[in-house]
Amino acid sequence: MNKKFLLNRFGRTLLTLVGVSIIAFMILHLAPGDPARIMLGQFATEENIEIFREQHHLNEPLPVQYGAWITGVMQGNFGYSIRYNRPVHELIWTRMWPTLTLTVSALVLAVILGFTLGILAAIKRNSWLDYITTIQAMFWISIPAFWLGILFLYFFGLRLRWFPIGGMAGLASLVLPVFALGLREEAWFARPMRSEMLEVLNQAYIRSARARGIKERVIITKHALRNALIPLVTMIALRLPWIIGGSVVIEVVFAWGGMGSLLVNSVLARDFPVVQAILLLISFAVVMANLFADLLYSVIDPRIRLED
Amino acid sequence: MEDTLTYEEIKKDIDNLKQEKTSQLALVWSRFKRNKLALIGGIIVLIMVLIAIFAPVLAPHDPYRTAPLRRLEAPSFEHPLGTDAMGRDMLSRLIYGARVELSIGILIILFEGTIGITLGLLAGYFGGWVDSVIMRLVDILRSFPVIILAMAIAGVLGQGVYNVVIALGIVGWTTFARMVRSKILSIKESDYVEAARSIGESTPSIIIRYILPNAVSTAIIMVCIMMPTALIASATLSFLGLGVQPPIASWGSIISAGRDYLLQAPWISTTAGLFIMFTVLGFNFIGDGLRDAFDPTADRS
Amino acid sequence: MMSPILDINDLYLSFSTEEGELEAINGLNLEVEQGKIHGLIGETGCGKSVTGRTVLGLFDSNTMIKGGEILYNGDDLLSKTQHELQRDYRGNEIAMIFQDPGSSLNPVFKIEDQLDEVLRIYQPGKKAERRKKMIAALNAVKLPDPERLLKKYPHQLSGGMKQRVMIALNLACQPSLLIADEPTTALDVSIQAQFINVLKELQKEIDITILYITHDMAVVSEICDQVSVMYAGRIVEDVSMEDLFNKPVHPYSKLLVSSVLGPETNIDNLVEISGSVPRLINPPPGCRFHPRCEHMKPECKEEPPVLKEVAPGHQVACFKEDLS
Repeated sequence: MNKKFLLNRFGRTLLTLVGVSIIAFMILHLAPGDPARIMLGQFATEENIEIFREQHHLNEPLPVQYGAWITGVMQGNFGYSIRYNRPVHELIWTRMWPTLTLTVSALVLAVILGFTLGILAAIKRNSWLDYITTIQAMFWISIPAFWLGILFLYFFGLRLRWFPIGGMAGLASLVLPVFALGLREEAWFARPMRSEMLEVLNQAYIRSARARGIKERVIITKHALRNALIPLVTMIALRLPWIIGGSVVIEVVFAWGGMGSLLVNSVLARDFPVVQAILLLISFAVVMANLFADLLYSVIDPRIRLED
Repeated sequence: MEDTLTYEEIKKDIDNLKQEKTSQLALVWSRFKRNKLALIGGIIVLIMVLIAIFAPVLAPHDPYRTAPLRRLEAPSFEHPLGTDAMGRDMLSRLIYGARVELSIGILIILFEGTIGITLGLLAGYFGGWVDSVIMRLVDILRSFPVIILAMAIAGVLGQGVYNVVIALGIVGWTTFARMVRSKILSIKESDYVEAARSIGESTPSIIIRYILPNAVSTAIIMVCIMMPTALIASATLSFLGLGVQPPIASWGSIISAGRDYLLQAPWISTTAGLFIMFTVLGFNFIGDGLRDAFDPTADRS
Repeated sequence: MMSPILDINDLYLSFSTEEGELEAINGLNLEVEQGKIHGLIGETGCGKSVTGRTVLGLFDSNTMIKGGEILYNGDDLLSKTQHELQRDYRGNEIAMIFQDPGSSLNPVFKIEDQLDEVLRIYQPGKKAERRKKMIAALNAVKLPDPERLLKKYPHQLSGGMKQRVMIALNLACQPSLLIADEPTTALDVSIQAQFINVLKELQKEIDITILYITHDMAVVSEICDQVSVMYAGRIVEDVSMEDLFNKPVHPYSKLLVSSVLGPETNIDNLVEISGSVPRLINPPPGCRFHPRCEHMKPECKEEPPVLKEVAPGHQVACFKEDLS
């Protein structure tokens, strides 16, 4: 593969990571006023505020503060949660797995459903299935995640009592949050898959494969799909931030004890060391996913892989 | 050969190119009008805008008058969509909610539009390191999920309508900047600009003359494309308690308040959500129709 | 006379377009004899490529068959479903090479995979046997270093190599009829000659029938036994290659032949001299060539002339009295 491209890509990733960490750090200093007072609230005594400032290097110039923070982060030390009075990394560690379970399951559901619908819509172009795929996708992208969560909770939890209405008690409690998150996301895969398949099915190599008497099923599942999947891999990475964003509200609705509900609680409680850490981790994951998608793209497309 | 052309001839060329562009826009419009979903979307949006404007006339009750004895009443003739936990008329609150949500949406777009268009113009026009710096900033901001960064910013700024607008504006301008930048780049490369430059017109004046005639239609298109995200994101912030605060009637906070009474009064959260969904759906239908009209080959032909 | 392997009778075919119905093929009659290389020559847009694709049932979605029959060894292909065509005809009976070698091979599969896919269907055998056959197939089309070539992806090959791979792929299906739709148009002249020689030799070796669609008179003279001249959706003259060049009868054929004496053999570039191809939405009535014809008579505007035999193996569709 092209070395210059790789170097360039890694350089950009590194730059983005630095920028992302600066933004995560600066969040606290965005507001007018004293960060210490913002965090401790208006009833804190002057003495306590001064101690807090000392502890958190708040009397130093900003670059020094950032330096101290990022050095700590690189050693796995994200500081102390004011609200829980525990190291932030401990808090996040226990909350990370529920969030990963939720987002990855939702992503898998969305990809399977979206790809299937998109492929079917492309094959049966202009049929009722095609129109339904388009319209249902429009509906999903128009529904706020938190409202869909509440609807599911009401119908399938409170009314029908099929699933638990919240908490993390086993597989059953995973169903509603995953569907609330994944169904909406499906729309973002169905439509690109449809148009990508339509484009590929119009290509000369598909007609030429048909002329060789290859079965239509093989044409679709092998010849067309392999080509259509290449750009869609990138699509999955691009949707990652939105799935994570959606998971935050879904976690709140279903009392799912993941990073999302920790983030919301920390924002509301002005527990900024936790907020900064979660912002940094999530954006780090997004940047890495984008890098991975780019690299994967150039590995699965032989036209790029074998370029010199 | 080319330098033998007279000023008039070049002027005429430019006019022809302009005319071509105008007729292209007419074609886009005629394609758009044929799109049934876009028409439905337009009607939905129009209705919502009218509801927002004429809220005081349309609302059957005062949306803020509480009636403790009539709390959580089911829909009836007097209260077509029931009442909330404080006995306020739901229909009136939802009608006023249209006002709140749409104004917040428009404010967000104005705010992010101002930042985005300025930075996009700078990046596209100057290119070079200015472009690099701005586009890296875009990359960095887009590495955060919109709602998460907006939440953090809103958390720092504190609750309130204007803080929602600021938080979502700071996060959301990147889309505008990218659109404007690529537009400027394509204008810079067009024949029209080449011709105009050859008769000594400066690039800024070309860009202004090129963009201004279509400014209104471009603005409408941009609002329709950006509105869904702005509406859903601001409603989400209100739902999380980081945006519009009660008693102001916003759809997001109504859904949030209705959560506690789902079994007794499911109409509170469900109807408010339907209002959000249909408004966003309307804008999405329009946006989709516009996309198809501008690029008919991309989808069904 | 032997019965033809392909016999198209009175084929009418239209495309529905935004501007109206485009009558692409309008009463086409074509007989291709077993074992011959039959040329189908005409300008771009005369319907020759559509004819080729229609034989295999590879239609675009806006295609309407208005009438006629396509007999392949006596079976009417137009009455077959897509599934029947795929199962019984495409590949194993009739194969087709398309104009653009660049996009005719699937970009994400190695040559090896694409060849092996066809072999598994049409010449099943053990893996080692199939591999031998793959190498033999590439050797047969004179591609150097087949072992290495098998490991390559299409984008790593030149246009001429890709088109030869296309022949290998299609012949691996072991068809009786090969439709070649302007296979050399996208290639350099020197590569063209190479390609045509490979195809000619192979045709003798395996006794396959070829319908060779082209708009290049030089190519026709090099490869074809029999030639059908097509104009605006109809065959105007069906003649042996020698007679086409020595004694063409139809005014259009004469125009083609007279112009081939110069260096320009692509008929798209030379027939412009006497007007352009008619629009096929509301085409001229009667003989579609009459607006460009110097022998035009009143009846030419009335109805289209049918093919008449003027000599054995030589048919002409024209109202001219002196058909020689």
